[in-house]
Amino acid sequence: MSYEKRVARLQDIVAELEGDGVPLDDALRLFEEGIEILRLASDELTTAEGRVELLIERVEGVFETRAIDD
Amino acid sequence: MRRSYRTSVAQPGVESDLFGSSAASRAVAPAAPGSTPETAIPVASITETARAVIEGSFSPLWVRGEVSDFKRHRNGHWYFCLRDASAQVRCVVWSRSQRGIPTSPDEGMEVTAYGQLTVYAARGEMHLNVTAMDAVGDGLWRKAMDETRLRLDRDGLLAAARKRALPYAPMRVGMVTSPDGAALRDVIAVIRRRAPHVSLVVSAATVQGVNAPAEIVAAIQRICRFGEIDVLIVGRGGGGREDLWAFNDEAVARAIADATVPVITGVGHEIDITIADLVADHRAATPSAAAEAAVPVRADLLAALRGLGDELSSSLTDLAARARSRLEEGATSLKRAAAIDAERRRAAIAATAGRLNALSPLATLARGYAVARASDTRRTLSSIKDFNADDLFTLTVRDGEIVARVTETA
Repeated sequence: MSYEKRVARLQDIVAELEGDGVPLDDALRLFEEGIEILRLASDELTTAEGRVELLIERVEGVFETRAIDD
Repeated sequence: MRRSYRTSVAQPGVESDLFGSSAASRAVAPAAPGSTPETAIPVASITETARAVIEGSFSPLWVRGEVSDFKRHRNGHWYFCLRDASAQVRCVVWSRSQRGIPTSPDEGMEVTAYGQLTVYAARGEMHLNVTAMDAVGDGLWRKAMDETRLRLDRDGLLAAARKRALPYAPMRVGMVTSPDGAALRDVIAVIRRRAPHVSLVVSAATVQGVNAPAEIVAAIQRICRFGEIDVLIVGRGGGGREDLWAFNDEAVARAIADATVPVITGVGHEIDITIADLVADHRAATPSAAAEAAVPVRADLLAALRGLGDELSSSLTDLAARARSRLEEGATSLKRAAAIDAERRRAAIAATAGRLNALSPLATLARGYAVARASDTRRTLSSIKDFNADDLFTLTVRDGEIVARVTETA
């Protein structure tokens, strides 16, 4: 799941929990899912190391990327 | 380069003698070509010689004049005259030379044309072989931009409604630019500073010169086929008008409009606005500004994430609190309902008891009646047929029973 999709899912979960009519069992399940997403998203931001790459198309539709020294 | 030229027509140093007064000179030096009807030279020779003379005498140069009789030939070449009050010179722009010219000039437009003066043998005409041209006050560049903008507008590509929102938190940014340019270095620096978790994928293109538009289009299409990017920056650093011209190219604009992800343009400096900027989903003034628009600051993202985490916690706490209060409410009303119910039952029992009492035979006995029952079977004896002489029977009265004997039957 992309970072943005994770954040969007997290927002959905919060909205659902804030609304009425979530049975307690479901609420706990949603909460656990939310905590897991929070952890993954946070990890993604803090551990990912951005790379700079040059895109090369070997033949049409076949790609490779090569690190650019900067 | 100026060519050296030596004429083959005139022969300086040899005196021609049209009257043939010197037999001796006629014998040693034959008549110069073209000097007599007998030595007349072919047309092709003279035009070729004129071409050589003219091309040898003039370097390519800029000529100023007003455009008239402009014609665009089927084969793609442009023909027109440059004229002023007293003179004119024919001009041609071969189709292959038109790539360096923004657009065709209008009739009557005051232009400067750069080219080689030459002679077109087939017509025996002198003309200027034009390879660059502009109108006074950047007229041609402006005209070209206006024409392109009009065509793009007609196709709806400049509509504000087309503009896509930039992603909130891209993890991979694409960039179409020269791998050696200052723009790439600037963008890398901004991303490293703001969002070190974001990767940059470069789709290389020459960003100036005649091949630039085609290369930029190909690079945009290539990175869109690659697909694994969230947003695309298209740009280059500052330069002269001609350096930035590729970003006014219609094909580049259309490739930007067709891109599969939102496009941010960052071309040149603050003041440069190109056609590409008009089509892009977001126009940034410089490549650095484009990178800033593309990636949010990581600390801000983390803060937003923490905020969401807090909301998540409090939403569950609130939900639990709501559930508890609902439960308590439920218990109270249950108790209340139970109490009401018990009272209702009690009343109902009392009422039933009353009715029961009214119907009880005991009440009848109380009023003075008695019930006769067989001593053995306890069957109620209600008819004279039930009695025989000397039978023992029980008589129930208000406060007890007595045993009686039948002494006489009717």
